[in-house]
Amino acid sequence: MNAIRPLFIPVILGTARMGRMSVHAARLVTREMGMRAGVETELIDITQLPLPTDDAGEAIKDRGYSSKMERADALIIVAPEYNHGYSGLLKHVLDSCLKEYIHKAVGIVGVSAGPFGGTRVIQNLLPVMRELGLVTIFWDVNFSSVQRVFDKDGKLLDEAFIGRVDKFLKELIWMAKTLRQGREQIPLG
Amino acid sequence: MTTDDKMICPKCGAEMNHHSDKLVYTTDSQSVRMGEMLGSGYLEEFHACPKCGSVASRHAA
Repeated sequence: MNAIRPLFIPVILGTARMGRMSVHAARLVTREMGMRAGVETELIDITQLPLPTDDAGEAIKDRGYSSKMERADALIIVAPEYNHGYSGLLKHVLDSCLKEYIHKAVGIVGVSAGPFGGTRVIQNLLPVMRELGLVTIFWDVNFSSVQRVFDKDGKLLDEAFIGRVDKFLKELIWMAKTLRQGREQIPLG
Repeated sequence: MTTDDKMICPKCGAEMNHHSDKLVYTTDSQSVRMGEMLGSGYLEEFHACPKCGSVASRHAA
């Protein structure tokens, strides 16, 4: 069954800020992932999820998001760095599920207007990923000075990112396959 | 602490694989009572279906 069931690896765009440049990074990664055989993907824009803000955690689980996380074998999180951290809405969304994430792979794409490419937001997300049961890979993609990587229409201006994304996706797919085998076939203890 | 009986996939009926446990801390009074042996939390089991890939969880017995 595993041989014929494609991997599902959605991309989560983790910001609600108007004018966000991260959307271009998320679209690029989604497009590159979509060209891989045996992998299905889609872009999940957290602004489109109907989560209330007068409660939090699994109490506000959205059926559609939960279903996609359950189906997922791995996640890609595109996270812009705001004041060295991740967006509050991204954390709000991530916290709405738990069992859906356990022993699934996650890769993080950092985005910043400055020179560090979201390295600090990635570091800040790592303990959150661990507590959610997600398994991080050791490849990241760092979009530093993102305003120079894409033009205003989202056209990629630096083709070197294609190779960087390729390395990142290969590692994530390997981990997704490995963890699917583990989740579904290898009993605890 | 874990439950011995196999979990059955609610979507396809296959026997699921128990692949993870997590100690969940909570302020919910019923769950705290269930987890008294663990201090301040309860143990949650996580299962995955080898046939359809769906996931499920339950409190450990």
